Order: sequence, then C-alpha cells, then structure tokens
Amino acid sequence: MFSEVDPRSPTPLYDQIASRIRIAIAAGDLVPGRSLPSVRHLASRLRVNPATVVQAYRALAADGFVEMRQGSGTFVCEVGTGRKESERSAQARQLVRGLLSEAARRGLSAGDVAAAFRAELGSEVE
Amino acid sequence: MSNAIETRAVQRRMNKAFEIRDLALNVPSGSIYGFLGPNGSGKTTTIRLLLGLLRSSQGSIALLGRSVPADMPHILARTGFVPERPHLYAGLTIGEAVRYHSAFYSAWDAERAESLRRQFRLDPSQRVGRLSKGETGKLLVLLALAQNPDLLVLDEPTDGLDPVVRRDVLSALLDYVSQCGATVFISSHLVHELERFCDWVGVMDDGRLVAEMPMGTFKNGIKRLRVLDGPAVVDDAPFTLLAREPSDGVSAGEIWVVRDWQASMSQYFERVGASLREVVDLDLEEGFVELLRTFRSPNA
Repeated sequence: MFSEVDPRSPTPLYDQIASRIRIAIAAGDLVPGRSLPSVRHLASRLRVNPATVVQAYRALAADGFVEMRQGSGTFVCEVGTGRKESERSAQARQLVRGLLSEAARRGLSAGDVAAAFRAELGSEVE
Repeated sequence: MSNAIETRAVQRRMNKAFEIRDLALNVPSGSIYGFLGPNGSGKTTTIRLLLGLLRSSQGSIALLGRSVPADMPHILARTGFVPERPHLYAGLTIGEAVRYHSAFYSAWDAERAESLRRQFRLDPSQRVGRLSKGETGKLLVLLALAQNPDLLVLDEPTDGLDPVVRRDVLSALLDYVSQCGATVFISSHLVHELERFCDWVGVMDDGRLVAEMPMGTFKNGIKRLRVLDGPAVVDDAPFTLLAREPSDGVSAGEIWVVRDWQASMSQYFERVGASLREVVDLDLEEGFVELLRTFRSPNA
C-alpha cells in the first residue's frame, strides 16, 4: 500500500496516498494501533514532497482513520464495521466511475460496460 | 512568507542572440521549486547569475535575504550547489574529495556524508576521475547535502542518470528536506520528475520567466475540453482560451485547451449554445507544452 503513486493522475498525490491507506485499514491489512511510516521515510520512499505526506495523514486523521500523536507518530485507529463497509463501497464506486468515463471516451455505452462486467464476473464464478 | 531567492529586473546579455531579460524570480522559503524550460531557455545562465558565477548587468538578486554578489561568502556557506557539469579534481579519491570539501563549510555534517556514502555505495578509495556518470552524480549530491545547507540549488541533477540512480538521488534529497526543511531550487527538463515533489514551478523560455505559480494552480487551471457547436468567435469567455483545434477524428467536437478553468464555467457553453462534452486534466508536461506554445504564438 506504500507503493508507487502516479503523478500524472488527475487525483492529487496526497489523495492517492490517503486512499490506499484508507482501503488497507478498511480491509484489515492495517490493524488498529499500528504506526504508519514517518513522514520523512514515506516522502523519501515515494519521492514526494514531505508536505504531501503530511496532507495525506491530516486527511486521514480528519476522517478518524488515524491519530497523529505529537512527537511519536501516526497510528491506525479503531474503525467501525459500518465505516469499513462504506469506505470499501466508496472506493469501488470511484473505480467504476473512472472506468465509465474512460469507456465513454472510447465511445462505449454504460450498457456495453455492464454486459462486459456480467461476462467477466460470470466466467470468474464458474 | 519570505523568499529564499528573490530577483528583480535582472538583465544579462550573453551574446547577440541570447539574453536574460527582466527576470523576477520569487522562491518562497521552504518550498521545492521546479525550474522548467526547454534546453537553451536560460536555466543554467540564471543559476550562474544567482550564485554569483556571472554578473548581471542590471537588477538585484538576493539569496537567503542577502544580496548577490556583495554577501556571497555568507550565501555560499549556507547554499549547496549541484552543477550541471562536475567541478571536482579528477586526481582525488572520493574520500579525499569529501575531506577537501568539508574544509570549506563550518556546518559540515561528517556523519551525514558517511551515511550517504554508504547508502550510495561509493568506494572512498576510488578516484573521482574514474567514476561513472551515476557515481559522479551521487557524489555531487552527497557533497551538497553534507554541508547542511539552508538552500539547495540543483542544475539538472539527474540529467543523463539511469532510473535507479535517479531514484536514489531524489530519495536522499527528499529525506534531507523532510529532516531539515531546506529550500530547494531544482532545474530540469524532465518534467515528470518534478511533478512528484515540487510545490512551486517557474517556467523559462528564451531568456524570460513566462510563468511562476504554485504547482497546484499550474496543474489545476489547464484543461483540455471537448466542445460541440462552439461559437466562431470567443471573446467573453471566463477562462483563457489557449488553443482551439479541430476534432481529433476519433470523437466528435473541437478540442479547446484552456487555462484558469473552474467547474462552474461550464455554464458558459450553455449560454453560447454550445455543448461541453468532456473536461480532461492535463498533467504537468502537457500543461508545460501548451504554455510554451501559446507564449510563442504571434498573437499571444
């Protein structure tokens, strides 16, 4: 989850970092009480501005996903099951929205995409 | 906010065909400032003017609140410089080059120098003249960071380096900035590299600074629109129209490249009886190309 970010994406870098951490918390990959990497470490690793990492951590703190403790770091908070579910569905919908606009750009209708979805999911179930 | 670099009305004629004109740079303290421009646009000349390696014929230059060239010793003691071309004695070993440099800087951090040397896997007994391009690049960055600077000026620090070395060098640079909060002024024509971490951009073209703004503003305001039934004449639009091109042949409608765009401006198209089909964000490189194109067009 602390892997590459895409500077060419229209989604701001801080948002990309925050989303990945949010989904990791929602999926239970990051457990409550665990500390996130330091700003210095993550900025250097992702080669982004330290202010971008701070902005991502602040956004997560504002949503109640993490807690920033002065001097000791940033820690994952306990997040309720309802919150986890809504975060997962929010991220899934965001993916689909991106897919639909890309499809529209290529001249495909929502119906085309839905049919493709059914075909792909069907083959996966079998 | 104070500026770590500030120039006013700087002029310098280099030859008949090229001069730096009316240069007014403002590099906020604590920012990472990307200095962009095509080859030959005056980036290196500007850097040489900033560091007192070249005298301006007019105007004023201040670094870290002190004036160039009068306060140069104070400025250089607190400024790390990575030049485009290495300036090291080829006969010294890496260890000797590090010791030699350390003698010039009272704030020299020997521990950082050693930890970067290990991180960069540089052999202290190797001669500077025999280093690869990548090793030389790493050594230059090591020397600049170990002097514990408040301001770093880097002239194409990663030009010609392979991706692995580039990554190592930039990681070390950002680690230093996170730790010490220095101001970074970095020139590059590798636009994507700067897009990751710069919070300000300045764009040079033909000896002039044609834009200077926060990175967010630069990236947000420039969009590519797809417009159906656009009006023949655009004179009252709330945004600036940079370019207007016929359809790309794949999807219907004209392509408009605009700047200063905000979502609420889509109403404009309803008002003039056109329809806005798509708004695409341009990344830094595309924005940069469009900016230069409009700046160079005769009616701009």
